[in-house]
Amino acid sequence: MSFSVSLRDVTLKYGDTEALSDVGLTLEAGKIYGLLGRNGAGKTSLLSLLAAFRKPSNGEVLVDGRPVWENIDVVSRVALVREGGDFDDSETVLATLETGSLRPDWDGDYALKLAERFELPLRKKVRDLSRGKRSVLGAVCGLAARAELAMFDEVHLGMDAPTRDAFYKELLAEYIDRPHTVILSTHLINEVANYLEEVVIVDKGRILRHEDVEAFQNMGATLTGPADVVDTAAAGLNVLAEQRLGGTKSVTVASALDPQTRERVVEAGVEIGPVGLQDLFIHLTNPDRTGA
Amino acid sequence: MADTTLANRRHTLGFALGGGALKYFSGWIAAVVVLASALPPIIAQYRSIDISAWYIAANSGKIFTAIVSGIFLYTLLAGMIAQGVTRRELAVSLGWFGLLWSAALGALAIAMFLGEHALYSAFDWSQTLQGDGGETRLDSVGAALEFSARYPLVYLLYFTGGAIIGAAAYRSDWGWLVLVPVVPVVLALDGALMRTEVWGPGWASAVTGAANGLGTWQAVAVVLVAVAAGAWIVRGILLGTQIRAKQA
Repeated sequence: MSFSVSLRDVTLKYGDTEALSDVGLTLEAGKIYGLLGRNGAGKTSLLSLLAAFRKPSNGEVLVDGRPVWENIDVVSRVALVREGGDFDDSETVLATLETGSLRPDWDGDYALKLAERFELPLRKKVRDLSRGKRSVLGAVCGLAARAELAMFDEVHLGMDAPTRDAFYKELLAEYIDRPHTVILSTHLINEVANYLEEVVIVDKGRILRHEDVEAFQNMGATLTGPADVVDTAAAGLNVLAEQRLGGTKSVTVASALDPQTRERVVEAGVEIGPVGLQDLFIHLTNPDRTGA
Repeated sequence: MADTTLANRRHTLGFALGGGALKYFSGWIAAVVVLASALPPIIAQYRSIDISAWYIAANSGKIFTAIVSGIFLYTLLAGMIAQGVTRRELAVSLGWFGLLWSAALGALAIAMFLGEHALYSAFDWSQTLQGDGGETRLDSVGAALEFSARYPLVYLLYFTGGAIIGAAAYRSDWGWLVLVPVVPVVLALDGALMRTEVWGPGWASAVTGAANGLGTWQAVAVVLVAVAAGAWIVRGILLGTQIRAKQA
């Protein structure tokens, strides 16, 4: 039993500022979603609503078809791990893991197994953990919660590359073993792209796009081949990124290629590949806009 | 935790919080007990003993209790919601926490007042409660028991006051301003219940001494009503509280 998600005309305000504006979003149960957006786009706000951390200023937030706010049956099976986790810093790692037993489906043995695998020092106070280990503790809590809706908000921050890789693999293994709904919010788009089934892009408090990964990848293409041939093939197309190595060039374009164009460029010796999710994300969220 | 089925976890959590807090501060509490017990015999080597040392320790426990409830609530709120606990459950848990904490500290206060009375009687010292310009002598076991029996309730009063401040401070940046009504009310009810002198400077005595005319049982009733109202206020604040964004 994994949880679906539905937001209907949801607005969330912080004072006079609208973090989310009239958001409508439906996520089917039992899939892995990527939640992408630039800084301040509204990703964390959206996740906070799904975990009943916050209440919408307007609209309705349903998880498993039920209102999530103060709904014990729902929130006890929803896990949101925020960057750095929500821990009592004066507690030990072990005591923090034991707090998870408040959840009906908490798997303490799994938590300890993960703690050993990720080399978490059980007797150490949370406040004494490095940033990376703190992130790992959050990830372990999120996984061992065995939640029907598990959300990881920038949980990878501070983790080194091997740890991130191990976390994604563990997440996938857990998902295959026990299908549930997962939402990964991250800026490391290329790292998680292979794990995602659908992608939601949030921009300026609104849902910009919500498609399956294949649909995103078909919104553009990567053309690789002899530089002059690639330049000819890409002429007139919206070029997102270019790379050149010797006489070989790779160009990412934001336009889907029609069958005739595809045939023509393939015959000219150009390889066509899917567009990188990150390149497309940058394109869709306006590369001319800068900001932290 | 023993029973964490969804129907019962609010109760289990409350006792776990209370037990955990008592365990966490057990060293501090033990230090105060040792200090309050050891000082009179040491001071008696140099001068006569005519005030209750435990009275000072027990009174410091009131402020300590308010701080514990406020800080615990402020610190644990986000973590509890992140563990899938509802705000209603947290309010109930906090109630059990307050009752357990106040009962435990109150029982300790009673035991220490009676123990101190036995010690002072053995050495013919005077177990006197010394306030701002007023003195009450506990000249019998009954008097010591009658006075100290109020501590569980007065600790619960301070716990409730601390919880209101902690919840309001979390909910809003300006929430700490709730100190303005809460502190005088708690001090006034404390004064009425404990029959101690009016707290604070003269200009504040109109508020902090407002309930001093009440009889003992009237004061008990008013404090019980205030605790119940305070608990309702804490619940109300919690129910509308949004978890704050994390700071970078």
